[in-house]
Amino acid sequence: MAKWGMVIDLDKCTGCQACTTACTMENNRLPGENWQDVLFYTEGTYPNVSMKWFPRPCMHCEHPSCVSVCPTKATYKDPNGGFVLVDWNKCIGCKYCQVACPYGVRFYMDERAVIQPDIRTVFPSNNDRLWDPPYKGPQDDPSRGIGIQPHGVVSKCTFCYHKVSKAPAGAVDLDEDIRELKEHVPACVRVCPPKARFFGDLDHPDSYVNKLIADKRGVRLKDETGNKPQVYYLSGGAAAAVPALRSMTDSDKS
Amino acid sequence: MTKTTTKEIGTLILALIGVGIVGYLVMQTLGGQGHAAFNTTNLGVHWGLPIVVYDYFLLTSTGLAMIAALAILFGSETFRPIVKRAAWLALAGLAGGVVVLMLELGHPLRALVAIPTSFAFESPLYWKAMTIGVYVLALLILIARMLKADWDAKALRGHAILILVLAMFITAAAGVVYGSNSFRPFWASGDIPVAFIFESLLGGLAFIYFFTYLAYAFDAEAMPEGVKRLFNGALPGLFALAIFVHLLFVLARMVNGLYGNVEGLQVWQHMVTSPLFLAEIFIGLLLPLILMLLAGTRTRPWAQALAALLVMNALLISRYEYIIGGQLVPMFKGTWAPDLLSYMPSTTEWLLLLLAILVSNAINAFGELTLRLGRER
Amino acid sequence: MEILKTLLSRRRFLKATGTASALGAAGIGSGLLPTLREAEAVPASGPSEPRITKNICHQCPARCGIDVYTTNGRVHAIYGTSDHPISNGKLCPKGPLGTYILYDPDRYKGPMKRTNPKKGRDQEPGFVPISWEEALDTVAERLNNLRDKGESHRFALVYGRGWGASCAGLQGTFGKLYGSPNVAIGHSSMCSDGSIKSKQATDGNGSYNAYDYAHSNMLLMFGVGYLEAFRPYNNNMQVWGYIRGVKVPKTRITAIDVHMNTTLAGADRALLIKPGTDGALALAIAHVILTEGLWERSFVGDFYDGKNRFKAGQTVDPDDFEEKWVKGLAEWWNIELKDRTPAWAAEITSLNERDILATAREFGTTRPAIALFERGVHAHSNGILNGMAVHSLNALVGSMFAKGGLMYQMGPSYGDLPVNADDYQDDYAKNGPWKDQPRIDLKGHEDGYLLANNMLQELGPNSLAGKPYKLDTVMFYLSNPIWTAPNGQVWEEAMAELFVIDTSPFPGETAMFADLILPDHTYLERLQDAPTYPFQGWPMAQLRVPAIKPLYDTKYYGDVLIEIGKRIKGPMGEYYKALGDTENVLRHLAKGFEKDPGDNGVNSFESWKEKGVWYKKPYHWQQRDGEFYEWDGEDYNRLMSEDEVKEKLFKTESGKFEVRSSWLESKADWIAAKTGRDRSKLMFPHWEEPKHPGGGDLYLVTPKVALHAEGRGANTPVAIANLQPTLGGRDQVYIEINPVTAKTRGIGNGDRVRITSEVGSIEGHAKYFEGVRPDTLVFPMEHGHWAWGRWAKGRMPGHCGEVTVNQSDRVTGQCSYYTTKVRIERA
Repeated sequence: MAKWGMVIDLDKCTGCQACTTACTMENNRLPGENWQDVLFYTEGTYPNVSMKWFPRPCMHCEHPSCVSVCPTKATYKDPNGGFVLVDWNKCIGCKYCQVACPYGVRFYMDERAVIQPDIRTVFPSNNDRLWDPPYKGPQDDPSRGIGIQPHGVVSKCTFCYHKVSKAPAGAVDLDEDIRELKEHVPACVRVCPPKARFFGDLDHPDSYVNKLIADKRGVRLKDETGNKPQVYYLSGGAAAAVPALRSMTDSDKS
Repeated sequence: MTKTTTKEIGTLILALIGVGIVGYLVMQTLGGQGHAAFNTTNLGVHWGLPIVVYDYFLLTSTGLAMIAALAILFGSETFRPIVKRAAWLALAGLAGGVVVLMLELGHPLRALVAIPTSFAFESPLYWKAMTIGVYVLALLILIARMLKADWDAKALRGHAILILVLAMFITAAAGVVYGSNSFRPFWASGDIPVAFIFESLLGGLAFIYFFTYLAYAFDAEAMPEGVKRLFNGALPGLFALAIFVHLLFVLARMVNGLYGNVEGLQVWQHMVTSPLFLAEIFIGLLLPLILMLLAGTRTRPWAQALAALLVMNALLISRYEYIIGGQLVPMFKGTWAPDLLSYMPSTTEWLLLLLAILVSNAINAFGELTLRLGRER
Repeated sequence: MEILKTLLSRRRFLKATGTASALGAAGIGSGLLPTLREAEAVPASGPSEPRITKNICHQCPARCGIDVYTTNGRVHAIYGTSDHPISNGKLCPKGPLGTYILYDPDRYKGPMKRTNPKKGRDQEPGFVPISWEEALDTVAERLNNLRDKGESHRFALVYGRGWGASCAGLQGTFGKLYGSPNVAIGHSSMCSDGSIKSKQATDGNGSYNAYDYAHSNMLLMFGVGYLEAFRPYNNNMQVWGYIRGVKVPKTRITAIDVHMNTTLAGADRALLIKPGTDGALALAIAHVILTEGLWERSFVGDFYDGKNRFKAGQTVDPDDFEEKWVKGLAEWWNIELKDRTPAWAAEITSLNERDILATAREFGTTRPAIALFERGVHAHSNGILNGMAVHSLNALVGSMFAKGGLMYQMGPSYGDLPVNADDYQDDYAKNGPWKDQPRIDLKGHEDGYLLANNMLQELGPNSLAGKPYKLDTVMFYLSNPIWTAPNGQVWEEAMAELFVIDTSPFPGETAMFADLILPDHTYLERLQDAPTYPFQGWPMAQLRVPAIKPLYDTKYYGDVLIEIGKRIKGPMGEYYKALGDTENVLRHLAKGFEKDPGDNGVNSFESWKEKGVWYKKPYHWQQRDGEFYEWDGEDYNRLMSEDEVKEKLFKTESGKFEVRSSWLESKADWIAAKTGRDRSKLMFPHWEEPKHPGGGDLYLVTPKVALHAEGRGANTPVAIANLQPTLGGRDQVYIEINPVTAKTRGIGNGDRVRITSEVGSIEGHAKYFEGVRPDTLVFPMEHGHWAWGRWAKGRMPGHCGEVTVNQSDRVTGQCSYYTTKVRIERA
């Protein structure tokens, strides 16, 4: 079985957030519940200022710290494909995984709504989920954290499990430009206008993602944590860049 | 009824009324808004005051249990007057913390089933939760075995060793929950479990002092001779030592934090100048240390009760600053979050602290009434 | 055991209700919910396969083809259409939000009339539902009455985003048959007419350009927001990924703006220019290109002896220069360019001379190269001059109609309508009193804007003042100038006097003043055509196919027009009865494809619906090394004559690219009188200090951002949440302020502030940003609605239009949105 991975070419990324909104709509996320996010950082002083941005999905780590800390095994690593998923029927909402994720990709949406008025009250659920938008997708699999979550659980990017897991057997590179595969490509990859994202099998030595990682020296975010992300970044000095994370603003400017 | 008993009944009734009122208020906000009533957010502060309260009460509980166990093992007759109270207080404190935890969890009832059946051996929380279960049982049995006024310390030695091990394990596991997050340097440190154990012990001592005085309605004259002897004998020194050791751990972390440039440690730069931190160090720890060292004050009941109260508060601040401080640097939030998050507990969260205090007090007062803690002779 | 049983029965129960809710049926009563809180969530039963319909996005004018996914009657996903030339399977961040617009809970559910006669911001209109019959009859009665009184000119129809022949395309005919100069008034002057007019003045094409970015080796972007808002945004980003990440050599990019944005951040060189001075920079670049001999001689021409006589400060003899396709270069040099050195421009623009020189050299030596600009450059009193200056750079480096250069958009091969409107004009329509009336906005009038295309921003103020007259009835289509116009407060007074008809399916500021609401379908419910916005030149026509039946009792605007038309007395009514409905219109348009099938095989109405787009490559013309060629079926082989070039490409008097504009020269008296410009100079691109009204000390610039979903972004929660990632504006938009500017005014980071000009004042929160000029405030135009839906209403900061002075470029009519100066203080 494949070990799915993503490659994001920061030279091509335009910081447009299409990945963010496509993910939000495909997976019926709440406003601000950016499973996939684009993070902006600014450095320098007028007139020479550098603005950088950084697209950040869940890393679907090989050794995910969120999985090891979960006291109920609700968060787990699917051996078939390498997805890191949450079983909403087991999650107790202790948020330890949120605390233990170095990449900040997990969400507990019972908190106060980011955008008021609260859209959950506009489209209330009659099925004990957080909400029920009329445009929600048909996919629904709480045991994998797919669909709209019930109350009191943590949600996260699924690598679009509901699409990827149905890819034809033997598919190595899930490329949206291959017509018969486009429905099996994660939403953020499929929508990306500058084609900065690639999705494929990291276990397949000759996959295109492995070629890109090798040729363009792919790096993993915060590799020192040992989480071993399955998302790689390519960067050649364009505006998008792997951020140092360290807060960049001087204290007198903040 | 003695005067003391009357006051105990009063305490119990007051606490129960408090539990009723605060519980009602909490149910109102939580029932209406759910966890939107908390000020925790996805920007980074995932664990807010309720977790602080829970851990504070849990670690105090294990501290009390450790003291009870150590007293049985090494304390001979000198420590006898506080053993039973410490054991019961350990249960009472834990109950307050657990109530708050249950209100903080997304699925508290599910947790009761899902954790034991998960066999999540990799998770420190799994071990912590499972051990707490055994620990509660062990404490209950211990108290049952001490129901007779002439309980024999020697016969309880095995039991005490078990409780000591469980309490230390829980405390250490609580440390690992935070200390193992290598990417949060504010938390991550190999000595955190050890620091937690010493902090627990200090909390236990402070609680013993305070709640013993409370049991006698702060009337030192009413206290039995054995208690007086202990309080004016070995205990002030131990208390001072515990304060000192805890202070060392805090200051060591502070120095490391101030010198370190690692992402996350910059929280210390902000923290050391905050009034809360200064109050913790100077009023909450140094002042009690002095009170417990000076010959003129160390045996004064007011000084002991005051020192205990100050230390109890300092430990709560310490717990708060540690748990919140480790989350103040947002992880990959870009401009969506400030460089350093700010967090203030919501009214509901403060109410949960109050609820924990009241629940613990109610249970403790109930124990004082029915079990005649430390007044066997 | 009991517990187990309960658990099992609960699970079954939930399973059943899950299925029910997935089918859209009513769910269980909420009273049961608390007891089920702890029960497991159970998946809904398997869905049926989604149905995909073709549509095009409505959230900007780019017209990206979209696949709309519908399952069990619910639209749940939108992705780019793979075989659509603009979207290519991709979308910008707005695209996926379309399902939200369909299901917007604030939508109007059907036609309504006003019951509260008072109008104002805080006056609840008191709408009551009426039938479509009553609604249409009401409009027709008013229009018939006006016509009977000979006052048909007092009816105006205002439109914003006109899509195609089946909606806005019907309006011109409506005006011609009914008899009003004000049917219809477009919004182009409030959009980017400054660009259109700059191009009309220089190359004779009054249009936006089509661009061949993919083959270009340098892009010089003046105030375009290429990675935020430049259209077609989605395709621009696809191009960006190619030219910056794949193409060899990598295309070089210099971007110029007043603040740091993603375009500048992604460029090789970012220049933060003083607002309104882009023209000075362009002139200096032209100066360097000429003095250093970098111009494209095969296109521009050369000195007869090949010796470069362009030396700073020295004139040349125009007779020494042999012009090819650029008219008036030597005269331009003598009258303007010779003194426009980089050092001079550095003073004007506040840029570094070093950077101006480097930019000019790079642009002059890299071929093909494109200089592109939009509102940042021309939304000022000197807009026409700035625009011409920038566009002239394209001529100097020979990019006009070149591979890797820029060209103009061709139209689609539509079929004829079933009836000819000319046969249905009565005497009133042909010679009624309305013929003597000017347009309400004084477009094309000596007292107003003689050379403009539209002057929508003047409609409100003019009607209020009764100059030239007061309107009686005004109808709006996809337009909300009461809010979007500069100093829209005046419009509120104006609209309070008029009978207002709004056709938007959503609540809004116009609706607050409306007497009638005739709600349109939202775009996922419409059958609507849309020829392409300028793209790559070759013709294209898209079609919106309804994904589902309309959710509510709404009616497509094109059909509303036809239905009103049917109710007008006389032959006009007959015309619309013969026209039938918009589907009939579309079927006739599609007949054109039978004779001219598209590249994707579209040759009928049915195949158009199936594919969603008809297109026909290639573009027909190309300029190579100073010669023009026409496509002969295989390649650009047929050499064109000068007359053919004049007829098809350079539509100027000279048939050349005119840096000396004959169009402006022909109106020189009027221009000189109205602008005070030197008669000998006004036809050349030249430097003129812009006029900044408002009375403040800081420029206010309010650009569009990527998530500005045209019309509905402000009420779309996901758009709101991600609108301003650069400053972290999550539930509001922050005002970008340079820390130096802020500190000298005692403004702290995040403070609430007040922005004031002589026309109004608004409040918001300011955030420190090193990427904004110290003399400029920037925030994206989006919020500050006082109607518009529950999420939009009252969101901070206030609307920039309320502090923007209504000042227009007298030549182009361009509304100068980015030129007002304001004050800022702590609120």
